[in-house]
Amino acid sequence: MGLNDPQWGRKKGNSGPPDLDQMWRNFNKKLNNLLKRKGGGGGGSSGEGGGDNPKRYSGGIGLLAGLLLLLWVASGFYIVNEGQRGIVLRFGKYVESTQAGLRWHLPYPLEVVEAVNVSGVRTVEIGYRNNVRSKVLKESLMLTDDENIIDIQFAVQYILKNPEEFLFNNREPENAVLQAAETAIREIIGKSKMDFVLYEGREQVAAKATELMQGILDRYKIGIAISKVTMQNAQPPEQVQAAFDDAVKAGQDRERQKNEGQAYANDVIPKAKGNAARLLEESEGYKQRVIASSEGEASRFKQVLVEYNKAPAVTRDRLYLDMMEQVLSNTSKILVDQKAGNNLLYLPLDKLIQASGPSSSSSVAPEAAATSAQEVMPDGAARTREAFRGRERETR
Amino acid sequence: MKKYTSMLLGTLVALVVLATSSLYIVDQRQLAILFQLGEVVDVKTSPGLYFKIPLAQNVRYFDSRILTMDTAEPERFITSEKKNVLVDLFVKWRIVDVKQYYVSVRGDEMLAQTRLAQTVNSSLRDEFGNRTVHDVVSGERDKIMEIMRQKADADARKIGVEVVDVRLKRVDLPQEVSESVYRRMEAERKRVANELRSTGSAESEKIRADADRQREVILAEAYRKAQEAKGEGDAKASAIYAAAYQPNPEFYAFYRSLEAYKQSLKNKSDMLILDPSSEFFKYLRNPGRSAK
Repeated sequence: MGLNDPQWGRKKGNSGPPDLDQMWRNFNKKLNNLLKRKGGGGGGSSGEGGGDNPKRYSGGIGLLAGLLLLLWVASGFYIVNEGQRGIVLRFGKYVESTQAGLRWHLPYPLEVVEAVNVSGVRTVEIGYRNNVRSKVLKESLMLTDDENIIDIQFAVQYILKNPEEFLFNNREPENAVLQAAETAIREIIGKSKMDFVLYEGREQVAAKATELMQGILDRYKIGIAISKVTMQNAQPPEQVQAAFDDAVKAGQDRERQKNEGQAYANDVIPKAKGNAARLLEESEGYKQRVIASSEGEASRFKQVLVEYNKAPAVTRDRLYLDMMEQVLSNTSKILVDQKAGNNLLYLPLDKLIQASGPSSSSSVAPEAAATSAQEVMPDGAARTREAFRGRERETR
Repeated sequence: MKKYTSMLLGTLVALVVLATSSLYIVDQRQLAILFQLGEVVDVKTSPGLYFKIPLAQNVRYFDSRILTMDTAEPERFITSEKKNVLVDLFVKWRIVDVKQYYVSVRGDEMLAQTRLAQTVNSSLRDEFGNRTVHDVVSGERDKIMEIMRQKADADARKIGVEVVDVRLKRVDLPQEVSESVYRRMEAERKRVANELRSTGSAESEKIRADADRQREVILAEAYRKAQEAKGEGDAKASAIYAAAYQPNPEFYAFYRSLEAYKQSLKNKSDMLILDPSSEFFKYLRNPGRSAK
């Protein structure tokens, strides 16, 4: 029975303390077998060879003592798993910390080993357990500087930086972290205004809490480094949640109203600018038109004037006759000889006007229509003739 | 030989018994007092293996780590403005003079904690009584904790204990006061909400009014410019007309009148009643005769 014994290998693999009872039993069994075999070999002479027996017996004791010693020495082997530290105490006094792997210490009771888990981030939760929804109101409701109450949850992550300190300096070190966390965060919240904690100051609060907690824990020489304090949730308490939500909504309403106003402005001003541009363009157009037409008319007049100056009388007559021709060819006319007539001349002017209208001939009264239709003949000559006739009839 | 062996075994057993009764180990986390017939003869503050006289001497162990006294329930304290606050605190302490500790509290941790709690409690009442809620919660929190630590430490030294830290954990308002705080917070939020809403509509109105003003200004300005441009055009046209007509106003009147007659008498509905004796018809009446 030694180090090479498969028994050892198995025990090591389990990494627990060696099962001494089992080993003892196995050892006894083997010993018995050994003695029996020896005894069996000299079975016949056991009675007569009394002198032989003690020698064999003492040899057996020596073997037994040697085996026991080996066993004892071997019990000093232990395994430190990855992520653990083995803390070796010699007669209760700290000697060394061992890294992962197969290690040996002086066997019990000279030295003992305690394993401490150093790897991995540990967490404590303040104000909730496991899930942010399962709140612990006793922990989570805190008083702020402006005497408001807020509901806050946060998680603290920490690692062991010094396993010896962690093991030796504090009773219930995990609890100490929880206590330090709670007192630190409350101190910081107590010194901050509510709005600061709820809105803009979240990161700052967490940073300050980290610093303060580390300070407290260092005072306890607890061997822990705070890696992170995260604020999970910071809200006004449920009792006033509705009012807070409404205030947030009010902020949104304000933005909405502003935007609506802006939308109106964005609609009205460009339109006005458009209208203004139109006015300006129109006026510019008017200006150009007036000037151009004046220039045109002036030029026309000047040219005519030049010719007029050369022969005023003829030009004057020509212009006059041109005009009369154009006018008379386009209008209805009645010739009345006033010198020969008197004041009794009756002309149904309204009828004549109606008749001369392009679409009113059918509505003329039958009696008047007969005369007027003839009188308002488009042909200038016919009309004058009729007019004369009418006049004669009147004068008769 | 058999006798020899049993003697050997006997000696071994005796040795083991002697060792277990005369050796003792003080752990890294422990302090130990060695008693001899009830009298303290030695104090072991560092870990290791020590001897004692079997039977006559015995050993008691104490925890050398930092211990915690945490109040189970928050207690009420009154501040200077006669308000109640609920305070929860914890004290971190450690045995430094183990002999003194044993003498004073018979090594009973509970007894020591009660003693500490009393000290802390009374000094806390003193400090809170002189301060307002605000001071207690935020302003002088550190200061209170430091004062209490000093006071508690001074007192604890008498029982062989060092007070490492005294910290206020929770300083809360009692339930009934909390309710009124909630009401106040609600009213405050309502105020904020109303303010936000009314400033919102005010701003909106301002923006609209400003837009309307800008529109008026833009249009008026445009109208002014338009009229100016038109006036300019009219003026220039007048000047051009005047310059053109100035040389012969009489002919202009004649020429322009003819134009006007043409323009105004061009519809069939325009009725002319003419006298055939007028100059225009002179050839109509008397074709042979030349103009007089």
